[in-house]
Amino acid sequence: MTAVAPEPTNFLDPGVLAKIGNLELLARVVVQGFINGLHRSPNLGSSTDFAEHRAYMPGDDIRRIDWRLWGRTDRFYVKEFEADTNTNFLVVLDVSPSMRYRGAPEDQSAVSKIAYGCYLAAALAYFSSLQRDRVGLATIDGELLDYVPPSAKHLQQVLHALARRIRLAPDASRVARTALLPPLTKLSESTRRRSIIAVISDLYEEPDAIMEAIGQLHGRGNDIVVFHLLDRNELEFPFSDSGNFIDLETGEKMPVIPDYFRKQYRELVRGHTTDLARRTRDQRVEYALFDTSKPLDKALFAYLSARERLGRVR
Amino acid sequence: MGFLVPAFFYGLAALAVPVLVHLINRERKVAIQFPSLMFLQKIPYKSVRRQKLRHLLLLALRCLALAILVAAFTRPFLPRHASPGVALTGARERVVLLDRSYSMGYGDHWMRAQDAARAAMRELGSGDRASLVLFANDAAAATPPTGNHADFDRAVSSATLSAEGTRLAPALKLASQIFAGSNLPRREVLIISDFQNVGWNRRDDVRLPPGTTVTTVDLSGAFAGDMSVSAVKTDRDTDPKSAGRDRVTVTARLTNTGTAPRTVDAALELGGRPVETKRVTVPASGAVQVRFLPTGIPSGATRGTVRIPHDALPANDAYHFTLAPDEAVSVLVIEPPRARANQSLFLSRALAIGDRPTFHVTVKSADAITTADLQGRALIVLNEVPPPAGAVGAKLRELIAGGAGLLVVPGDLTTDRWPAEWRALIPLRLGAVVDRTASAGGTLASVNYGHPVFELFSAPRSGDFSTARLFRYRAMTAPGDSGVLARFDDGSPALVEGATSGGKVLVWGSTLDEYWTDLPLQPVFLPFIHELAKYAGRYADPRAWYTAGEVLDLSRHGELTAAFQVTTPAASSDASPLVLESPSGKRLRLSAGGAAHLAELREQGFYELRGPTTPVGSGRPIAVNVDLSESDLSHFDPRELVAAVSAPAGSGDVALAGGVVLPEELERRQTMWWYLLLAALIFMAAETVLSNRLSRASS
Repeated sequence: MTAVAPEPTNFLDPGVLAKIGNLELLARVVVQGFINGLHRSPNLGSSTDFAEHRAYMPGDDIRRIDWRLWGRTDRFYVKEFEADTNTNFLVVLDVSPSMRYRGAPEDQSAVSKIAYGCYLAAALAYFSSLQRDRVGLATIDGELLDYVPPSAKHLQQVLHALARRIRLAPDASRVARTALLPPLTKLSESTRRRSIIAVISDLYEEPDAIMEAIGQLHGRGNDIVVFHLLDRNELEFPFSDSGNFIDLETGEKMPVIPDYFRKQYRELVRGHTTDLARRTRDQRVEYALFDTSKPLDKALFAYLSARERLGRVR
Repeated sequence: MGFLVPAFFYGLAALAVPVLVHLINRERKVAIQFPSLMFLQKIPYKSVRRQKLRHLLLLALRCLALAILVAAFTRPFLPRHASPGVALTGARERVVLLDRSYSMGYGDHWMRAQDAARAAMRELGSGDRASLVLFANDAAAATPPTGNHADFDRAVSSATLSAEGTRLAPALKLASQIFAGSNLPRREVLIISDFQNVGWNRRDDVRLPPGTTVTTVDLSGAFAGDMSVSAVKTDRDTDPKSAGRDRVTVTARLTNTGTAPRTVDAALELGGRPVETKRVTVPASGAVQVRFLPTGIPSGATRGTVRIPHDALPANDAYHFTLAPDEAVSVLVIEPPRARANQSLFLSRALAIGDRPTFHVTVKSADAITTADLQGRALIVLNEVPPPAGAVGAKLRELIAGGAGLLVVPGDLTTDRWPAEWRALIPLRLGAVVDRTASAGGTLASVNYGHPVFELFSAPRSGDFSTARLFRYRAMTAPGDSGVLARFDDGSPALVEGATSGGKVLVWGSTLDEYWTDLPLQPVFLPFIHELAKYAGRYADPRAWYTAGEVLDLSRHGELTAAFQVTTPAASSDASPLVLESPSGKRLRLSAGGAAHLAELREQGFYELRGPTTPVGSGRPIAVNVDLSESDLSHFDPRELVAAVSAPAGSGDVALAGGVVLPEELERRQTMWWYLLLAALIFMAAETVLSNRLSRASS
């Protein structure tokens, strides 16, 4: 029997990913597929490109002395290499009730925002782990819920926590809503080392509050990548039947005639995302808006570009 | 504001439908889970309110359009009185329309009608004028506009009932013509009638001049029912006791329109003598059939009548018919002295078949023909012989002038021109014989299926002339195209009809046996010869009776006139040698052909058609019965007629005698429904535009 190798890029489709139960496998499939698609070496990031020479100082490893240069100059120099060194990578995942929204219940291949966020977080964590970064996870919903501190050995814990979050039903006993400031403030106090922090959320907050929360992390020298996840229904508001719209976070009801609201709603959403993009750019924070019906590669590209720019440490 | 059909207001209940739908939809409002209402709550509330207001405007437009539509269907009108178009002073021009249809003979209707007409004249003062118009199927002025009471009363008294039905439209048109010639300011029409439904066709577009006052005298009154002989059927068969003699069984249908069953004696009379009487009981609002015993058919045409005792309407208590022995078409075929063996065989055998009609065919040689042989012939066939000369020729032309038919088959006659005395009757020139044997023969390519000879073959699969091969035929030059009934495939005429004022003259280009053609061997030959002989012999299916008001066309009924063909030169010079005498004794001179061949049968009973020498009482009887649709005495509201004959809106008014215009007429003039309908359409268009805009704005 001949096994037919699946087309790697197909695995970036969220609908296909939803069928893979094991998050590690999922993350591996995503990352390998993505990398194969790029035609890049899987060892990307672990290169040892020459950076510069510097004078030998007592205590330096004598194996790093450039002997050829000693032969020409009769002085000891050691070689400095530009290489990805171990850095902290922390995924902050919003698991508030609004993230449980899935736009097309009748479409079995559609995924909720939280599932999409988990796939994205798992892929990013796996990807970082391949680069020998220390990976960690924080889930928030107005408060800090789970916290897996960044560590080179915490990939499995991160994946486990993510898998649990996908399966876990929201706690009906407590009112939870998207609020970044309290948990991010708490996180900023606990992270002492500079980290790359990926914030995955639907950002249902005023831009001022969001930027204030992000500023808490950014001000401590962390590099922030914001992944703004929205369902297609949230972007386009395609509803036709009038009805009572129920807020998933507060349970509040509101009679809505979609035909009359559509135009202004779209303008408000567009204004919100444009405002966020502008403010994050001003603060040198990476921002990317994602439609959860789209494949994950765009998200990975966004992360990679940020990683390449931010992750160069000597 | 009045409404012609207020029941349509119930349609306003439909307005509740959109509201109910709205309410039901509100109750059924679905719950939709959404991540956050953050943005939705930011949308200004007043914007939604404005949308709702626009919704309300849309709803109002829809409701308004629906309401206006309903209002249009109720046919609204504004009531008015005393129309100013009616002149109230000045001399009067009054036209009295007196119905003389036979239904007016019911009870004392006719007497009352005459009294009402006289009273209408008595009302007039000096300077006023009145005209009497008598009408039944058509109308005629019995008096010119006159102020002389005596003349008018005389005309009323001398008026008699007719045997015809009622038609109001011709009388009203005649009244309009009288008004058109009058200069008196007040115009009045008085209609005295029983206003039967059959007398007024709602589609008759009759309008009286503006300002005309219409008054009606309705004589319909109480109707106690009527008995009538509504139909008679005669079935012929052969008497089993007397071989060869035909007998007839008469069946009559009696109708009772009353509310109680009636027992009557139905009597059959033949030749003026009672034959049989049967007592029958006719159920209320029903009919029965009375079957009389079979009786032998007397020689010659005999008058027959089925009669019941007179009742309130006596005109329909007798039904007349004519019994005649089977009337054959007499055909004389003249062939050359040395004729071919079967030269007339196919023709005579074809005509011997069939009994509707029966053809009596005599074949004689041209050298043995005498004037006596021509007597009583309906059709003479010159089968490849030239037209006879001398006394026989003169007699033949006389017969043709009197209505007999002539079929000429030139064959291979050596002559190319007819004798001078025949050129007027046979207006074509003969050419050479066309021989088509080398090319497998010609065909009949062009046939005038609209002509009576070929009408039978006009339907699909009703006879195919193209299968017949014509190997030889005579080239003929006809004076015009109008008389050519069929052509060969080379375009030359095959069958030509001459234009004569008397009988029919036809010329056939080929032969009537298989000498030049195989047409006699084809299936179409027999019906073709029959149709040809019937047309040339002026045969029409004999009718046992006619209906009063019908026109008798003697040129199409050779069987009626064949017995009276003129024989003397003195009589032949008379252009109208026949006499038609009506039941009342009026005589009308007619001819079998020519201009005077039409007669209108207006009286009920037996007309008698006689020749110049036929004694009175020995002529051909023609039975005429009343139009039985007139026996239906159901009547309509005269106000409907008044409204219908009113002048159109804007041109003036026609008022009832009381001066009040009918609501129907007011509504018809104002036509408010039309404007309402237009408004409803405009509102619907506005609703469409607004809803489209709202829909676009929301998307």
